[in-house]
Amino acid sequence: MRHENIKRHAALFTDYAELRVQENRTIRISLLNGDVVGNARSAQTGVSARSFKDGVWGFASTPELDDGSIRSVVGRALDNAHFLAAREGTPRGPLPSRPGRSAHDLSTKKPRHSQKELIDFIRAIDGYCATHYPGLSSRSVSLSCLDMEKTLVTADGADAHSLVPRSILAVSLTVDADGEPVDLYEVYGGLGQFEDVFSDPADLFPNIDILADNLARKSRGVYTRPGTHDVVLDSDLAGILAHEAIGHTVEADGVLGGSVAADAMDTVVASPLVTLVDFANTALGHMCPVPLWTDDEGVEARDAVLIDKGVLRSYMHNKDSARHFGVEPTGNARAYGFYDEPLIRMRNTAILPGTSKLSDMLSSIDDGYYFLRSSNGQADSTSEFMFGVVMGFEVRGGKIGDAIRDTTISGIAFDMLKTVTAVSNDMSWSCGGMCGKKQMIPVGMGGPAIRCRLNVGGRA
Amino acid sequence: MSEINGIDITRRAVEALKAAGADKAQSSMSRGEQSELNIDAGTMSLYRTTVNVSVGLTALVGDRKGTISINRYDDDAIKAAAADAIAMARSSEPDPANDISPARPLERFERGSREPDSAAMYDRLREFIDYARATFPTTNLEQCVLDFGSGTSCYTNSNGAEFEERSGLYSFSAMFTSKQGTAASSFNYSGATHLSLDTPLRDWGSIKELMRQSAEQTTVRPVDGAFEGDIILTPDCLGDFLNFIDGVYLGDYAMITGNSPWKDKLGKPVVSPLLTVRSDPNGPEIEAGYSYTGDGFRAENCDIIKRGALEHFTLGLYGSNKTGKPRCPSGGGAIVVEAGETALADMVRDVKRGILLARFSGGSPSDNGDFSGVAKNSYVVEDGRILRPIGETMIAGNIASLFQSVRAISSERVNYGSAIMPWILSGGVSISGK
Repeated sequence: MRHENIKRHAALFTDYAELRVQENRTIRISLLNGDVVGNARSAQTGVSARSFKDGVWGFASTPELDDGSIRSVVGRALDNAHFLAAREGTPRGPLPSRPGRSAHDLSTKKPRHSQKELIDFIRAIDGYCATHYPGLSSRSVSLSCLDMEKTLVTADGADAHSLVPRSILAVSLTVDADGEPVDLYEVYGGLGQFEDVFSDPADLFPNIDILADNLARKSRGVYTRPGTHDVVLDSDLAGILAHEAIGHTVEADGVLGGSVAADAMDTVVASPLVTLVDFANTALGHMCPVPLWTDDEGVEARDAVLIDKGVLRSYMHNKDSARHFGVEPTGNARAYGFYDEPLIRMRNTAILPGTSKLSDMLSSIDDGYYFLRSSNGQADSTSEFMFGVVMGFEVRGGKIGDAIRDTTISGIAFDMLKTVTAVSNDMSWSCGGMCGKKQMIPVGMGGPAIRCRLNVGGRA
Repeated sequence: MSEINGIDITRRAVEALKAAGADKAQSSMSRGEQSELNIDAGTMSLYRTTVNVSVGLTALVGDRKGTISINRYDDDAIKAAAADAIAMARSSEPDPANDISPARPLERFERGSREPDSAAMYDRLREFIDYARATFPTTNLEQCVLDFGSGTSCYTNSNGAEFEERSGLYSFSAMFTSKQGTAASSFNYSGATHLSLDTPLRDWGSIKELMRQSAEQTTVRPVDGAFEGDIILTPDCLGDFLNFIDGVYLGDYAMITGNSPWKDKLGKPVVSPLLTVRSDPNGPEIEAGYSYTGDGFRAENCDIIKRGALEHFTLGLYGSNKTGKPRCPSGGGAIVVEAGETALADMVRDVKRGILLARFSGGSPSDNGDFSGVAKNSYVVEDGRILRPIGETMIAGNIASLFQSVRAISSERVNYGSAIMPWILSGGVSISGK
């Protein structure tokens, strides 16, 4: 529901300020070996205000939405800014402004499913796993739905409302291999409420078959050999590479905090085959997995072309970092809950497709790996990255060989990206995970397959 | 926002659940106020105050369970949430393992202050910035947060178990990176939680030592080649690896799936006899403990691993009912690793070839305990000496094997307020450079 009433409270702003009403609604249902171990819904609603004075911020929030509470929270934010400004403030120029005025409600127009219908859907997936793959030692199926609804006004005229939903189904299967458990999981779904993302459980059965087949191969898999290898990273890995290895390194707050990207602007950081963009809401003609039209500072969101044909061209900014660097804000300020202040966050970060065919890229590998699925990833101020790899294959003489057990890959992104020798002509998105940085936030990651050289972990 | 009566809210919620048709019911409520000062890129940038309330309602209809969480507590909101929880339970499947804790008269607990000392918070943070600039001029304070969190949490169930706890604790976390010319270190971070601001923030946890290390980590290179070597886990790193033990071997998920390699090892040796790991939510060394568990039991200190033998899984009530194994009486948090008898310096002298692992950036361990990742902010150790900081170095091994191979535990420990950790020396880890 759009909270039109907050506009009148903008009259309380005596300095630059923002006022946001937000509700996060979640559904979580989990089945473990057929038992319902999670069956929960939640709603967190509240209002926050943030004020800027002499280079410092004051923030306050409350779950109460009556007029008195909203007035109080605006007053407290102003007081907090004044408390800090009196001790640490330095007069600064005005924050840059590009007020967004947008309204996007992506909730479903279909009748909503009952909790029982959702549980039955998940039970159908679980039942398929149990019936068709009786050799599994354990299985879990979980549904996680998040609706984030925000109404925002700012002192510089932004006026925005959005409801952006996400529905994710995760399936994890485990088999026993010589007395040791070997597991593999996959995530399905994305932008939209459940009814717009999933229709018939049977639609997912072919995906389950692929997952089970990959798990069977993995259970017979080999450990990777440690060292530097030629590899092809499939789109899932390229997406997390774009997010972790490059994205975090070029968030402007990280740059100000000491990231190596501070000295790399307008220099070559990657192969000319690499162009990397943090999309606001639309990429290559399609809506992104986590679309954003107006950020939580009220800035009209625009795409940020971070690397253009191998050259670092932009950081991702909020208003204050844009003022510091003397550039336009990119609209990357996002907050997870009503009680959270906006931070510089990625939205939909992707390497753009190239012209190579995946089959040609694989056949060009003499002795290396084809990595398909990641678990988690982390980045560093040095641009050194690490990803867990949970599915992949050896490649020998251009042919796919044995599957591998779980491993880790790493490298210095600004070095590794210069080793990219091919980029495939297709791409895919994923948005199953949350990015952590003081707060959690949903993000989209995308990419084609890329051929490169990097460090692979393993047993010496 | 005025003071609220938390136990009245949970009692009303349980009554509403029973009136709506629950056979058993439980409710938890927390109301928290945060007061927080932030440093970004070396300057104090944000003063943030927040209030939030969370009310959880769980209904059991027969053996079927449904849970609703809201942040409202008026009668209408509670009645509506109770009706939703009943509907969800009726939609679910029966599971005899679903239950609530037995009756226990209301107990009240209190720790820490009720109000933040905002002026002292500002002074301590200002002092920390000045210290960092003067002592480590090449180190950037990327993000630091000093927070005072106060609040009330309450629990009531239909068997008659009730708890109320008030707490007020200061928490500080610091994340920093060093830079010399264009060469940057890996970021590192640490933090701690305490009842007061009596001690300068630089002395909380391992912050001062990690900042010292950061300043000398701007120039690194990989270890030479690939080898199987020793590893010294620092206190910050040890906490991460003990979390891995919990996830792979001890917790509800690993035990219910039957994937835990230790599922039949209760009372038996599982790691080196040098290692004793306790869960001490009631202290006395732990300041940031807790008085009751999320499933409605009084939290009692217990051993998880005693002289290498497995004393408790970290199962909650559901996991215990599901597996037939004993519930963990502590809830599994507030981990204290007993100090050993070896001085850290002697531990280093015992290393022929290996690394001092100060931060581990790795994938989640496999269900069999295999792990691999990057050694961050770490050092190569050879012939009993810490030689130089390393970069682009990967390690791999198995969690159980790592703790079975422990050769020494340090007499020195770091107290984080919510956990107390020593250094440990182990071996048999694969270490590889580029």
